[in-house]
Amino acid sequence: MSLFACAWAAEFPAQALLRLRTDWQTEPVVVLDGRAPEEWVCSLNRLAERRGAAAGMTRLEAESIQGLRLLKRSAESEAAARAVMLECAAKFSPRIEEVCGAGLNEAGTPGAGGGTACAFVLDIAGTERLFGPPAQLAERLKEELAAAGFRAAVAVSANFDTARMKAASMRGVAVIAEGAEAEALEKLPIAALGLDEEYAATFALWGIGTLGELAALPEAELVARMGPKARMWRALGRGEAEHTFEPIGAEFALEEFCEFETPVEQIDSLLFVGARMIDCLATRVAGRALALRSLTAEMGLEGGGTHCGAIRPAVPTIDRKFLLKLLQLEIGAHPPQAAVVRLTLRAEAGAQSKVQLGLFAPQTPEPSRLDVTLARLRAMVGDERVGSPVLEDTHRADGFRIEGFTANCGKEAEMEATPRMALRRVRPARSVRVTVRAAKPTVFRDQENLYEIAAAYGPWRTSGCWWTLEAWDAEEWDVLAAMSGGRSVACLLSCDRKRNVWRLEAFYD
Amino acid sequence: MPTAAALRLEIEHALERKFPAALTPAPRAIYEVAATGIRAVDELLHGGLPVGAISELTGATSSGRTSLALQFVAQRTAEARVCAWVDVSDAFDPESAAANGVRLKQLLWMRCREDAGKTAGRWRAKPLWTRLDQGLRATDLLLQAGGFAAIVLDLGDMAPEQASRIPLATWFRYRQAAERTQCSLVVVGTRGYAQSAAAVLLECSARNAEPAGGTVLCSFEFAVRRERERQAPIEITTRKPPAATWQANAAWDQEKRA
Repeated sequence: MSLFACAWAAEFPAQALLRLRTDWQTEPVVVLDGRAPEEWVCSLNRLAERRGAAAGMTRLEAESIQGLRLLKRSAESEAAARAVMLECAAKFSPRIEEVCGAGLNEAGTPGAGGGTACAFVLDIAGTERLFGPPAQLAERLKEELAAAGFRAAVAVSANFDTARMKAASMRGVAVIAEGAEAEALEKLPIAALGLDEEYAATFALWGIGTLGELAALPEAELVARMGPKARMWRALGRGEAEHTFEPIGAEFALEEFCEFETPVEQIDSLLFVGARMIDCLATRVAGRALALRSLTAEMGLEGGGTHCGAIRPAVPTIDRKFLLKLLQLEIGAHPPQAAVVRLTLRAEAGAQSKVQLGLFAPQTPEPSRLDVTLARLRAMVGDERVGSPVLEDTHRADGFRIEGFTANCGKEAEMEATPRMALRRVRPARSVRVTVRAAKPTVFRDQENLYEIAAAYGPWRTSGCWWTLEAWDAEEWDVLAAMSGGRSVACLLSCDRKRNVWRLEAFYD
Repeated sequence: MPTAAALRLEIEHALERKFPAALTPAPRAIYEVAATGIRAVDELLHGGLPVGAISELTGATSSGRTSLALQFVAQRTAEARVCAWVDVSDAFDPESAAANGVRLKQLLWMRCREDAGKTAGRWRAKPLWTRLDQGLRATDLLLQAGGFAAIVLDLGDMAPEQASRIPLATWFRYRQAAERTQCSLVVVGTRGYAQSAAAVLLECSARNAEPAGGTVLCSFEFAVRRERERQAPIEITTRKPPAATWQANAAWDQEKRA
């Protein structure tokens, strides 16, 4: 026994734009298609409809209606919204067919002159044990779509086309019992068949206005007058048409897109939309028992160009507030150079991690709190100044690099922790004037102090990388010196042998 | 003839209304300490620096305060704990830290910079942060985050007149956060800044430098004087604060011995 559920999202261009903009959802909105000055209203929401707007209006006509927000149709937004809707549907059945004439071609972009709806028919035969009776499944499907920001009608029928046509002509949820297809369709206008103008005019001339009236016509006489296509129309009207199901693959692409009407210059405004996008991504990924491993924000800038920012939590998470905070800090630390006109969020999914802590293991920072703390620190002083130092394999003084800090304390080789002479570096090394007698420094002075050298140990010559531009050739002296105030210090002086320049590199402390 | 215990009971009973348990010493809380890894200093501090409190290592340049702080961090990282070094003057030397036994992977190093926040614009309208502001803010964040066994706030190269302006309220806030997260906050400075918020105040000074054969610096000898130890057990006070000396050898000295 076959059973189909059709989810039909009417006025899809408007829904795709309003889905992420919760602030616009309470306003009358129309979406304009075409090129200026020949723009026309292709889609609108209910509030706009109540104000008197209608599909097909020109921009001038739409502008004459007070309080109407005019938006431009966005192929990217519709493609992203279509992917989200498809993913919602895929939670209920792996066999999904995109309904022809839904306004989107196979590539997922609005086709030339296409309709303004997005619809999928799901093969739900045998899903009762998972989702309950068809009525319950239809309700859950509708709720799932509503959670993703779509207003969709859901119709369930044993006949594919019956479910499709019924969903296209109603709001809410309808479950058509097997054998009652003709009754369910009888009041639908004949336009539901999508007839050519010529045939539609003929039926109008005959006084046939509904599918019920068409279904009541004798088949042989109808075919004799309208041709072989009429058999199909009559079968559709009676809910008896046969259909070969052509399932499509639901790709799991975690991407959200939003295009702004006016360039956004404030981080708060950007994150207002970003929060909703993260929310959607987290909901989608949680539906598959996964978490977000990384998040990349691609910002289209005013005047061309893009700006990217990426966050990668230490542990995959679906904590929306935490991800939003990280994104805020990332954008704050690396702000775009111009106003943002479009925002794309791409995410990578990862397994939801569970950390098993040991009863006697030392306390370490909580990964998510540490992430936020590190992001705050990086926003304050820069990426390259926060992390764990790693010594480089070189004899160059101060040779190290900074790597990202993680609180995972793996087993390391035992190191002997015995007191050693420690240096306090002077960064950048301070230029000093040195008096040399008998090949030994005796006095040196910087901009503030005069140092009388009591003992000098050296020179220790070091050189390297002579084959690169970063070559160095220096001699180092460990000196014990008395400052002008009588205080004694131990410090490290170095002399660049090529330039004969002395520098105060560090103090022993 | 009544025994001493009986007499004590009798006196306590008589004074019960005014002074409960007048002659019985009040039980003292046992505070957790973490060893610094330098025996003389640990003995001086009755085990080490306190956990969940502020310790101050003070002294002039070349007085051994950085070596002492590195030794403490080395001990904490050796216990598979993580530590942080808030480097206000950008003076931390990773090579010295590694030579002292600090596991660098377990150390978060935050280097303050001169021009933080300079890229202010419409996306970020923040005031400029001075090095000291950055250090204090970072310490606050790290203490609040929790999980760090030790945080070193290195004010070693800051002018005392500048660091002395840190409000006492800040230090009290740090003390509370350190107590809550069981973190040892070690402040390295020219002199004590935390005042009554600090549980331990050590004054470091250099004793002498020992050359080997008159050509190479071999080791330094440092002295440490305990100026304050709030959580120390009661002991008979002496006129001079107790002090200890310790020695830091050159890194190559170990290789030579090996």
